[in-house]
Amino acid sequence: MNELTPLAAFWLIAIPLISTPLIYLAGRLQVSLAAGTGMGGGRKLVTANGQVVVATTSATPRTPAPDVARWLGLMALAATWAPFIGATRDLIANGPAKFGLESIALRFDGLSLLLALLALGLGTLVMLFSGQGVSGAAGTEKYYTLLVAMVGLMIGLACAGDIFNLWIWFEGMAVASYLLVGFHHEEPAALEASVKYLVQSAAGSVLVLLSIALILAQTGTLNLEEIRNTAHTTPGLLAAGALLMMGFGVKGALVPLHTWLPDAHAQAPSGISAMLSGVVVMAGIIAILRSLAALAGVTPSWGSLLIGFGVLNIAFGNLMALRQTQVKRLLAYSTLSHIGYILLGVGIGVAYGQPAGTQGGLFHMLTHGVMKGLAFLAAGAFLYGLQPLFESDRGKLTQRSDAAHASPLLISDLAGAAQRYPLVAFTLSLALLGLGGLPPLAGFMSKWQIFVAGFATQNPVVGGLVIFAALNSVLSLAYYMPLVNMLYRQAPSKLVEHGRAIPLTMLLPLGLLAVTIVAIGIWPGLVYWLIEPAGRVLLASFGG
Amino acid sequence: MNLAPLNVALVGVLGLLGIGMYGLLMTRNLIKTVIVLQILVKAAVLALVMAGSAAGQIHLGQSLALTVIVADTIVAVVGLALAIQVRRRCGTLDVQALATLRR
Repeated sequence: MNELTPLAAFWLIAIPLISTPLIYLAGRLQVSLAAGTGMGGGRKLVTANGQVVVATTSATPRTPAPDVARWLGLMALAATWAPFIGATRDLIANGPAKFGLESIALRFDGLSLLLALLALGLGTLVMLFSGQGVSGAAGTEKYYTLLVAMVGLMIGLACAGDIFNLWIWFEGMAVASYLLVGFHHEEPAALEASVKYLVQSAAGSVLVLLSIALILAQTGTLNLEEIRNTAHTTPGLLAAGALLMMGFGVKGALVPLHTWLPDAHAQAPSGISAMLSGVVVMAGIIAILRSLAALAGVTPSWGSLLIGFGVLNIAFGNLMALRQTQVKRLLAYSTLSHIGYILLGVGIGVAYGQPAGTQGGLFHMLTHGVMKGLAFLAAGAFLYGLQPLFESDRGKLTQRSDAAHASPLLISDLAGAAQRYPLVAFTLSLALLGLGGLPPLAGFMSKWQIFVAGFATQNPVVGGLVIFAALNSVLSLAYYMPLVNMLYRQAPSKLVEHGRAIPLTMLLPLGLLAVTIVAIGIWPGLVYWLIEPAGRVLLASFGG
Repeated sequence: MNLAPLNVALVGVLGLLGIGMYGLLMTRNLIKTVIVLQILVKAAVLALVMAGSAAGQIHLGQSLALTVIVADTIVAVVGLALAIQVRRRCGTLDVQALATLRR
């Protein structure tokens, strides 16, 4: 039976990555066939070469044919669930499995399972959701291709067993996300967000590389476990840990390094915002934790450092979210504060050897992924519904296309939206109230576990910080509630009344995520099999 | 004496890092920013080779360096592609002129 685990885990990474080029080629083929058989003219030829971005002036006739790339992408992700289930079963039966290609060490353990589930689950739903959202924009086949690639690379990242591998997977995932953030490249704002993300992220990855060089020079190995066994306190390794924290901290959006996040989340297509907030940022956090765990022997204060960053993130994210007027920027800043809760939980676990802390933190990572994914997708559904009506304001920038351009969706745009879009409004409110931590929903359960773990340390400072975090959780309702209020208690605005209907493929992911939120909230034991091994692995890797 | 080549390499790493950081802070042109990022990565590449040789595993260091060069070329290509789009949409490569997303 032991043979099976590596095989299943191997295909878990391989299927998305192998299907990536196929999806792209099929998508391109469809585009060029449509251009070839379609209405002649010089412009089509250029499009076939993939050089031309949709022209801004004339009405480009769009192909009404079903999107081959999208269906192939969905099929690839659906096929990936088979090895995922196999790998999960074997993980539960036989414990963590090591596998590899030549010298590439990979390892499938509880933490990998958590991130893989988040990436694959959210990725599949986003793929389903994105159908109408991005169709009509130029280069949709690239969108679907990159989305599948991102999921595959993220699962690889989750399994990385050596620090250089971790960097490679991360860099690949980051490249896919730069391109996806800038997907609406006809919009200067999306370009700006993408450039910001790229420059900051690339600078961060240089720091990670320097740290890898330091670790290699000091310990002579790159394997995370071997580093853990040989590392002891030296100035070089301390510096390496600091560089790692800064480098991966850019992608994990620790507060002083977070400035790319609100822009990227707000400007990306909504499906990608959900992926960024729910998974990509969390992959950054996992990368920090994995690599710091290898340096656990260098200093005992990594846990306290995580708690410190966590509290900073909570406070800053909340204060900034309070003054936002755009829905997606508000959600982006709320992501910052939720990263804080995750770090607080994990930090408490690591610093005080509390298994409940790491489990709480990782539980929150899961619930946040579900809730924030739902919130961004619901915002995306609203954007899709109201999009054509923005055009008049934004005038000459685009022709009337179906593309859900990343134009700002203001909170006030949603006045009374519950009457026109009852289901979307309901799921968005569920997500927001869950994020705010109201009791019957998932967010409450995970925050509660973090707070309980904090009090269990019986340390007055930690207790104080936990109370501070709990108060912040109440404060966060101050920006979630007005949005819910706007949805339900205002008279419908003109904008909402004239909005178009939202297709079933968009509503389905929303419904699924909403059911998950309520289910986890009522019965948190449902995900215990997932959280417990992940928390145990993380704590064990820090030597706790 | 044994360490002398390593010391030279160390000076190289620090020099490249210094140039890169200075450039990253000072430059406003998008293409120059991409170049500066490349300089920073070259510092890291040199550091990796140096670390490999210090750890007595020069082959490992060199293969890491090669991989980093390949991976980072992709980032540079994406950065330049973005620069082209920025020039097309905004008519300038100045990063400051691009900055509209505040708060």
